[in-house]
Parts: sequence; structure tokens; C-alpha cells
Amino acid sequence: MDSGGISDLDLDKYDADEQVKIICLGDSAVGKSKLMERFLMDGYRPQQLSTYALTLYKYTTTINGQTVLVDFWDTAGQERFRSMHPSYYHKAHACVMVFDVQRKITYKNLPNWYKELREYRPEIPCLVVANKIDADIKVTQKSFNFAKKQGLPFYFVSAADGTNVVKVFKDAIQMALSYKKNSSDFMDEVMRELENFELESKEESSDKEETQEGKLDSA
Amino acid sequence: MSIVAKRCGVRFIPPSIILIYENKNTSKTRKRVIPVRNFSQYSDCSRAAERLKHHVRHSVYLESVSLAQLERLHLILRDHLKGLSLEESLAARRASDPSDEDLNKLSDEELNRRKAQMDQLFERNRKHKDDPDFVYDLEVEFPENSVRETCSWDEEPSDEGF
Ligand SMILES: Nc1nc2c(ncn2[C@@H]2O[C@H](COP(=O)(O)OP(=O)(O)O)[C@@H](O)[C@H]2O)c(=O)[nH]1
Ligand SMILES: [Mg+2]
Repeated sequence: MDSGGISDLDLDKYDADEQVKIICLGDSAVGKSKLMERFLMDGYRPQQLSTYALTLYKYTTTINGQTVLVDFWDTAGQERFRSMHPSYYHKAHACVMVFDVQRKITYKNLPNWYKELREYRPEIPCLVVANKIDADIKVTQKSFNFAKKQGLPFYFVSAADGTNVVKVFKDAIQMALSYKKNSSDFMDEVMRELENFELESKEESSDKEETQEGKLDSA
Repeated sequence: MSIVAKRCGVRFIPPSIILIYENKNTSKTRKRVIPVRNFSQYSDCSRAAERLKHHVRHSVYLESVSLAQLERLHLILRDHLKGLSLEESLAARRASDPSDEDLNKLSDEELNRRKAQMDQLFERNRKHKDDPDFVYDLEVEFPENSVRETCSWDEEPSDEGF
């Protein structure tokens, strides 16, 4: 996967006011795709972007009389590397982070996903979702401290019976919109700078090995 | 020929799958040794299992052996080639607590198989669009009361700074 192909995905379009990008994160088989499908029902057009191992769902809604175009990004297998390609996070406006209440390890992995998310997107809203509560409704009497510790909104949901699924995604869209209105996307600029820097330093180090250290110091 | 597999196992030297089967026509029980060729510690077990399952000469004997079992046997063979003891290999296969099973580590095929198992409960609990009591935006509040019990998953120290 190289970042040279990112333009295929037309990332710049997210700069327009009424378009947002929302990403899903979490371990394999926690139910990310089932949640997406439950929210979108029949009215979606999934787009498989195999080179990026992801599925893109386009969704249109109206909020306060304004049309909002939402791109939901769902992983299609890349989560098993416990890490996503940077383009997945690029210019995302909100994140839905999912674990499976039946499998502890998926909860224990949340900090790893959260850490990676914050490396790329330090500020965007992140919603923590406990899925599959239909399998064991008693879990809803317990508290899961990860979200509280991080100060993140938390939801008990079931993609199977539909509990709170629509609420999660509607909240995510609202939060994505208000994040977009109130942020200057400072981080994207920084990332672009970093990318440039990486290219330059690679070129230099390829022909002048010994001076590399001095150059990095002065940079 | 009608073959019913009775038991299926693995032999390390030379690497082979051993099949005990009954020939229904003759009611005789036999053993078949199927050599596993072109297989190394770097081989893809699910693909090797599939190759064997569809092998021109062996497939008829393996019809009643599941692909999952063939894949598991190849995993044990591969662990052996990597230098693991049989006990270590079996311990690794046996997910002692399914709640601790890391599905991120499975092959596509094994992951799909696990998802197919999960689908049984999913379908049982599923509310369909044409169910009379279907509600698209079903909201349920789970009030945060003070007696809420902390989930035991939070009790271990492996929080890595979070
Ligand atoms: N009981 C139950 N099972 C679920 C639920 N959501 C997903 N599943 C099961 O979990 C499996 C994996 O879901 P999937 O959406 O493919 O997970 P992903 O890998 O995170 O996209 C599915 O095959 C379902 O059988 C749920 O809310 N309740
Ligand atoms: Mg999926």
C-alpha cells in the first residue's frame, strides 16, 4: 500500500462543509460491519476498495435542513494487523470504536486502537460501543471503565436486535459535524509537513550516509 | 466405493495425514497414509488443507473429514517443523478461554468459520425489518446507577498506561 494512490479516494472533498468521514475501529469479528449494515439497512451502496482493504458506505441525511453526505469507512480485514494504514485515519471527523461483550480480548485491545487513533487524530470525537448485548443482557448492569477513563461517550448496542445502533451513528454524525465546524484541521497540516520531511530526509540519507546524523540534528 | 472416515490424525516422520476409515461396501476398516508434500514451516495451512481435500486420489477418502480438521492437522505439522513439541502445539490450538481467543490472528478461512458459528446466535436474536415489532431506531437506556458493578475485565493490571 503506498500513499501515492490516496488521490483515488479524493480526500480533498471532505473539506466541503456538509461532508464528513466517519471510521470504524476494533478487532476482527466484533461486529463492525453488522452494525454498519443495521444502521444503513437497504439504502446503502457499499464500495469495496480492495487495495486499501476497506469498504466505503455512502450515506446521505438531512440535519437542520442541511444535506449531509457521510462516508462511513469500514475495514475489510486490515484490522487483523492490529493497525490501519494512515490513509484510513486521514481527515476522519469521528470514530466509532467497537468491542464484543462476549470476548474480553476485544475490550483489552481498545487501548491499542485508541492509541493509534490518537497518533493520527488527536482531537476527533470517539464513541465507544459495546456490541452483542443481546447475547448476554446482564452485561448492561456493569460498567466498563475504559470509556470513562478516557472521557468518551459509551453505548450498549446490539447489531442483531438493533438496540441503540441508530443512536450511535446519528450521534457520531452530529459529533463529526460539530468537530468539523470547530476545528481548523491543524493536524492535517502537520501531517503534510511530516510527509514532506520524510521524503527529503530519505533522499539525503541515500547518498550521504555519514553526514546523516548532523543533518537530522540541524533539521 | 463408499468411505466413512473414522479417525484422522497426523504423523511427523515422514509428514503425513493418517486416516482410519471404513469401506461401507466391504465393512472393512483400513488405514490410509497420505503423505503431505511440499510443506514447510512457512506454508499456508488453510491452503494446504484445501489442496489435500481436493486431491485427485485422496479426496474420495477425505470427503467426510472437515476442512477445519485438516487445517488443524496441518497446523500441528507446521508447529512441529518449527520445532514446537506436540504439547506446546496442542496448547496453542486449544483456546483455553474462548473469551481470550484472538480472532485477529486467524486465517481468512478460519475467521469466516468462526463468524459462521457466531451467526447462529446472531440470526436467532435478530429483529428483521418485516417483523411486526421492528423499530428502526430502537433506543434503550441503561441508566448509570450508583450500584453498577465494575466489570471484572477492568480488574487486571494490563491497562498499559490507560
Ligand atoms: N449475537 C450477536 N452477534 C453479532 C452481533 N453483531 C455481529 N455479530 C456476529 O459477529 C460476527 C462478526 O460480525 P462482523 O460484522 O463481520 O464483524 P467485523 O469483523 O467487526 O466487521 C457476525 O458474523 C455475527 O454473527 C450482535 O449484535 N449480536
Ligand atoms: Mg467487517
